[in-house]
Amino acid sequence: MIIVTKSRLDPAALDRAVTSRKHGAVASFVGTVRSPHAGRVVTAVSYDCFAPLAEKELARIKSAAERRWPVTVAVAHRTGRLKVGEASVAIAAGSGHRAEAFEACRFVIEEIKHRLPVWKKEHYAKGEGRWLPGCALRRRK
Amino acid sequence: MTRKIELYGRLRDAGFGASLTVDIPPSATCREALASLKPVLRQQLHGCVLASNDEILSPGDKLPSGRLALLPPVCGG
Repeated sequence: MIIVTKSRLDPAALDRAVTSRKHGAVASFVGTVRSPHAGRVVTAVSYDCFAPLAEKELARIKSAAERRWPVTVAVAHRTGRLKVGEASVAIAAGSGHRAEAFEACRFVIEEIKHRLPVWKKEHYAKGEGRWLPGCALRRRK
Repeated sequence: MTRKIELYGRLRDAGFGASLTVDIPPSATCREALASLKPVLRQQLHGCVLASNDEILSPGDKLPSGRLALLPPVCGG
C-alpha cells in the first residue's frame, strides 16, 4: 500500500494492510504537525509535493525496505494544508519479529526525509510563513 | 524551443508562480537547462535539481520530452 493524498491519513488502515498470520510484529510510525517549532507558534503546515515522482519514490523506498528485511511495508504521505496535530506521514511494517519491523519503519521515515519530493511551509501565529530547509536531491542508482 | 518547467517548494514563492518557461535547444542537457535558469532564479537555484515524472535527472542527462520539474532541497515527513 502506497498513498499520496490530500485526504486525512488512516494509520490503522496501514497497520491492517501489513498484518498477517505469519507476522508476530507490526511497528508503526506517525509523523504529526507540531507547535511550537524553533521558538515560534505554528498554526499549520502546507505540504507541497511533486506527486508523480513522489509515488514512485515511495514505491522504491518500500521495495528497498522489503529487500533488506523480511517485512511488508505500507506508507502514506499527506499533502496540502494541515493543522497542528494532524498526521503528515504514516508508516507500518509487519514482520515475523519486532527487530526488523522497528528497523524497517525507521529506515522508511529516514529515506522519506532525504529523498521524497515533498516540501513544507510553516504558518505562524505571528509573521510570514517560511519554507523549511531540507536535503538536496540526487539521482540514486 | 520553449520548455515549461514546474516549480515546487520555496521556488513557488520566487515570483513566477507554479511554473516558468525558458528557451532551450531541443538537444540540451540538464546542465545547460540549469545554466539558462541561473540568470532568472539566481541564488534560488542553489541545491535544485531537474526531474521527470519518473526520476531525478543528472546534469549530463538530455532533457526528457515530458513533464519537467525543478526541485529544491526536500523536507518531507
